[in-house]
Amino acid sequence: MTQTMSPALRRRETVSGYLFLLPSLVFFVGFVVVPMVMCVITSFFDANMNANTPDVFIGLANYKELWQDKVFLKALRNTFIIVLVSVPVVCIFSLWVASAIYQMKEFALSFYRVVFYLPVVTGSVAVTVVWKWMYNNYYGIFNYLLKGAGVISKNINWLGDPKYALGCIIIILLTTSVGQPIVLYVSALSNVDSTLVEAAEVDGATNLQVFWRIKWPQIMPTTLYILVITTINSFQCFALIQLLTSGGPNYATETVMYYIYYTAFKLYRFGYGNAMGVVLAIFIALLSALQFRLAKES
Amino acid sequence: MKKKLALLLALVMIVALAVPVSASAEPAESITLWTYPIGNWGDEATVKALTDAFTAETGIAVTVEYLTYADGDDKVNTAITAKQAPDLIMEGPERLVSNWGANGYMVDISDMFDDTDKSEINAAALKACFAPDGAAYEYPLVMTAHCMAVNVKALEEAGVKDLVDLENHTWTTEQFFEVVKALNETYGIVGAVYCNGQGGDQGTRALVNNLYGGTFTNEEHTAYTWDNEKNIEALKALYDTEGIDYDPSIVGGDEIANFYNGIFKMAFCWNIAQQLNPNSAGTGAGITMSGDEIGFMAFPSQDGVAALQGGIWGFGVFNNGDDAKIEAAKTFIKYMCDSEHTVEAVRASNFFAARTAAEGTDLSTVWADNEIMNEYTKLMPMLGDYYQVTTGWAAARTAWWNMLQQVGSSDGSVEAITAAVNDFCGQANAAAAG
Repeated sequence: MTQTMSPALRRRETVSGYLFLLPSLVFFVGFVVVPMVMCVITSFFDANMNANTPDVFIGLANYKELWQDKVFLKALRNTFIIVLVSVPVVCIFSLWVASAIYQMKEFALSFYRVVFYLPVVTGSVAVTVVWKWMYNNYYGIFNYLLKGAGVISKNINWLGDPKYALGCIIIILLTTSVGQPIVLYVSALSNVDSTLVEAAEVDGATNLQVFWRIKWPQIMPTTLYILVITTINSFQCFALIQLLTSGGPNYATETVMYYIYYTAFKLYRFGYGNAMGVVLAIFIALLSALQFRLAKES
Repeated sequence: MKKKLALLLALVMIVALAVPVSASAEPAESITLWTYPIGNWGDEATVKALTDAFTAETGIAVTVEYLTYADGDDKVNTAITAKQAPDLIMEGPERLVSNWGANGYMVDISDMFDDTDKSEINAAALKACFAPDGAAYEYPLVMTAHCMAVNVKALEEAGVKDLVDLENHTWTTEQFFEVVKALNETYGIVGAVYCNGQGGDQGTRALVNNLYGGTFTNEEHTAYTWDNEKNIEALKALYDTEGIDYDPSIVGGDEIANFYNGIFKMAFCWNIAQQLNPNSAGTGAGITMSGDEIGFMAFPSQDGVAALQGGIWGFGVFNNGDDAKIEAAKTFIKYMCDSEHTVEAVRASNFFAARTAAEGTDLSTVWADNEIMNEYTKLMPMLGDYYQVTTGWAAARTAWWNMLQQVGSSDGSVEAITAAVNDFCGQANAAAAG
């Protein structure tokens, strides 16, 4: 059909296709591309909120300063800890749950999907408020239970102690991150070609072999998607920090995203904040590319 | 035909998206006001009554947006960068003068202060509204002294009520620590040096500064001086005191809630608005959730005479390049802050008038019918230096709570506390130096 289409008709089809695309494109360019370009450009300036002083071009000075900024380095370290812990845990836990529930009857399957997806659709403020109560130093349920069980003798200030604060944040992040991967894995596992599984079982493959040789390769695209999305979400951890700890205590929960916000909107150093944003974007891109590469090789 | 229709529809969609929504042609006599929750100036019903009366008299319509301290600054800053700042804003000198004014976004309203105004307005409030170059970026409406609070029933049960002068609301550092010791022996938890950030830091600053006579800035408001020995001594004393912990998991609002709920027996983040309506819970003035009497107190000092942190609130005008709006905004300020209507504007705030009279209306008797407000006036003479106008204030207050966090998580040695104090005070001074 296409082969018989005249050049004029093809051109009209193409034009109308682009016109239909244009509304989305306007939003994408306006709210993604232009801010990205502005972010990169501003990162080379000493840009602040002062209307009386013009922004000064300072080249790479903001980028150089980053590597001498102890708070940024701490934030970067914390961000990588969050990513390195949450990404594998989310993937493994989601796969485990999905494997356990995907062959269940419809009602039970739906029930578990709802249970795990609920924190995803619940507003982050509501989730945070509930966790804040549970972690509360004075009347939180964790201290109550642990003291009741004789595990601790004195209340632990979960969010106020540098030893525990980041771990507490990661736990909340995990609960809000596993919902979507579980739903995706359930779907992916349900789509695995059952004839291949049955053939392998007939040939005497063990459950582990069936999983690694048959199912795992077929759910690899889903795994890759989950890895990339979870990595990006973990790198961008902000709301929990803003609502719970403000980066404290002692910068123990400071993440790059929160430090960008703090630098730009509290200290009004827009150029410096943008430089951090560019560096963060580079890290995310590199890690995502690495994940794509590894997935392709495997 | 279908394709033509589809193309037409697509074009309509694109045009609809591409053409910015044109703002409705507002009459020149309309202004926007953004207000932080300063007493009932954060309450829509109260403010609407005031603005409706203003509109009825002047014909200028006022659209009000209510900010919170949690995200108000972000909203304003975003609006400024998007050139969508409101015409008027209600807050204190630390934001209006030292921040947005110093950064060139506010209108100099010094022409609104005549000699009579200057003689009627409290001297400290007047000074705080002016930038060093003589420009005024705030017209003050109300003011108060921040203080602390104690649970009087807890003091009785701990047998230390006599140590506290509840009549004059003053005590010495020695008495304070004795009271804390007794409360700790009776209840365990007494209070907390909250330091999560995001507001309420006036309480911890006043506590630390008053205990042994330390200062926060120099008199000229050009440098931060909280790295002096007296403050280090206070930080160390608080660290060593059983019953009071440095708590980076709570903010000032949480502390108030814990005090109201009876968990804490003392609160350092208190003022008259809290005394009138503890925890904004609407359960009665001057009592906790369980009905215990709340006593408001000046911060303890060695000689019993405190230098309290002040709060000064008023209006500033954003320079949006529209002279008509600026004039309308000034008319609003004159109406609320310097006219016979100032009485209602002051009463709405639950704070005290920043001036003695307004165009012949006596403001000293605004609260004559309110016993608690009258009692609270005993604290007003203790108002200390209003240093929140020092350059780099936003960075300095963040450095302050970060410093408290570091002190709290240190081993409590003088060396560790001194190192934390020097580090963060240095950061504040770097911000002050620009």
